[in-house]
Formats: sequence, structure tokens, C-alpha cells
Amino acid sequence: MKFLWQIGIILAACFIGEGISMLLPFPFPASVIAMLVLLAALAVRVIKPEKLHESSHFLMSNMSFLFVPSGVGIITIFDSIRGSIIPLLAVCILSTIITFAATSFTVRLLVRLQRRLSKGREVEQ
Amino acid sequence: MKEWFSSPFFGIVLCVLTFRIGVLVQSRVKTPIANPLLIAIVLTAAFLIAFKIPYEDFNIGGQVISALLVPATAALAVSIYNQKKILKEYFIPAVGGCLVGSATAVVSILLMCRAFGLDDTLTASLLPKSVTMPIAVGISEQIGGHASITIAAVIVTGVFGAVFSPLLVKLFRIKDSVTTGISIGTSSHIGGTTAAIAMGETEGAMSSIAIGIAGLITTVISIFL
Repeated sequence: MKFLWQIGIILAACFIGEGISMLLPFPFPASVIAMLVLLAALAVRVIKPEKLHESSHFLMSNMSFLFVPSGVGIITIFDSIRGSIIPLLAVCILSTIITFAATSFTVRLLVRLQRRLSKGREVEQ
Repeated sequence: MKEWFSSPFFGIVLCVLTFRIGVLVQSRVKTPIANPLLIAIVLTAAFLIAFKIPYEDFNIGGQVISALLVPATAALAVSIYNQKKILKEYFIPAVGGCLVGSATAVVSILLMCRAFGLDDTLTASLLPKSVTMPIAVGISEQIGGHASITIAAVIVTGVFGAVFSPLLVKLFRIKDSVTTGISIGTSSHIGGTTAAIAMGETEGAMSSIAIGIAGLITTVISIFL
């Protein structure tokens, strides 16, 4: 019963998310809105995180399984992308390296800045 | 006999079986390249082709599984919430890094797709590939991509991150664990995060936080595409 109630709360967030997604003037995935709704409910303590523990753990630990059917959908379009496989792989790998480099550069800069600022504050005190 | 395969239980059982095989294979060979999801997709597709079962029949059960993706994405809220303490401490580097990283990912993919002459559907399918699967699929469908290509691209990115992240950390001479975690999570979502967790607690936590933030930022960027 506890589990059913937890799933019910998460599904209610999904239903609200889909409603909001329809109202928005621009396309925005309903699933991400559902996540934000749930996050807001947790942040203002309408829902306690313990109350979602089992169901969220169940959904997240089985997450990758849920993509099997959509992934298999590739057989319906495989013929049309057959010729583009090498460029597709190249884009995936190169952009991952470029993203890693840009992120690490930015974070390194910001961490250094933040530490210098907090050190400055300590000296003042 | 043909209608037997259009039972919703056929698709569900086939997916559970092939995924189980994938998990068993990975626990045997212990390399991120043996990704259970990838193995399950290949085996399921091979089964459908071998027995000439239409994807539509398989997907009667498949849709039941896919419908759970929305609640699974919503459940990410709990893991983001649980990391609020460390997020508060490194809020500016985390958000700043994810913002620059996600924007770089989108722009670099867009430019490379143009350079390679890939069409709009392929480009839209690849754009969100650095973020976590449920959010990537959501974005891809919104901007006219094909979910199955996005899933393949997300897997490739994740496996690449899991295998090569430690090497990239060395290559870019990163010595700080906060920087390591955020860079891995932003560039290769949960796949790379498995490698980050192996490097240390802070690396793992920062990488998990980056998954959520990069997912949100990329969703916002994609509104303007």
C-alpha cells in the first residue's frame, strides 16, 4: 500500500507536468516539468523525501531498462541512417571531448575564484 | 499464431529477458562497453527481424514500458534534492560549468552536423545527447528528432565517458575533484558518472549533480532552437 501511494504521488506530478506542458507557449518536455514540480514539492516540504524513497529508487535503478522498446525503434529507420553511421559516431565522440574541455576550464576558473573570495573573507574576519 | 505476438505481454517479456541477458553479460566481462541496454536493444531487434515480427506488434507491450519514462524522469527530483547540501557549497562553479558545458555541447553538435551534412532529423536527435537519457529523449521529441537515434547517441556518449573520462582528466591535467565531477557529469551523464564514482565521493556527487543541472539547462537552451 505504501508503495502504491508513493507511485501515486509521482504519477500525480507527471499528470500536472503534462497539463503545464500543454499550457506553455513553447515546447518543453512534460517529464522535466514533472521533475521540477516534484522538486518544488520537496523543497517547500509538502512532500518529505523519505515518503518517495522506495518508489523513486525502484524507478531510477531500473531506468535504463525502460529505454529498451524506444531503442529497438531504430530498426524502423535503420535503412535511412545506414550511410550516416560514421559521422554520427564522430559527432558523439568529438562533442563529448569538447564539452568536457569547456566545462573543466570553466569550473576550474570558478572554483579558484570562489576559494580566493572566501579566503579574502576569512582574512577580513 | 501471428496474433500471439501482438499480446502486450510479448513485448514486455522480450525486453525483460534481453535486458537480463545484458546485465548477466556485463557482470561477467565487467567492461562498460558491454552496456546492458545496448545488448538488450540489439538482441530484441535481432529477435524481431529473425522471426519477422512487426515493430508495431512488439511495441504494444513496448509502449507500456516506455510510458514509465515520465515518472522515472520525475523521480530524478529525489536524487537532486538529496544532494542539496553539496550543491549549496559549490552552486556557482556547478551551475556555471554546466551552463558553459551544455551550451558548448549544443553548439559543437550543431556545427559538426552541418559540417558532415547530416539532415535536420539526425541533428535534432543528436543535440541533447550529452544529457541524461529521459531528458534527452524528451528534448529530442520536442525538437523533431527520432527517439531511437537519440537513445543510441546517448549510449555511445555514456560508454565513451565511462571508458575515457579518467584519461580526459589526465589529458586536461585536472587535479581538483569538484572540477573532475562536474566535467564528467556534464559531458557524459550517468555513463561517465560511474567512472566518477570510482574516483571518489566528491567526484561522484558532483557528477550526479551535474547530470541534473545540465539536463535542465539543455532543456532551456532547446526552447530557442
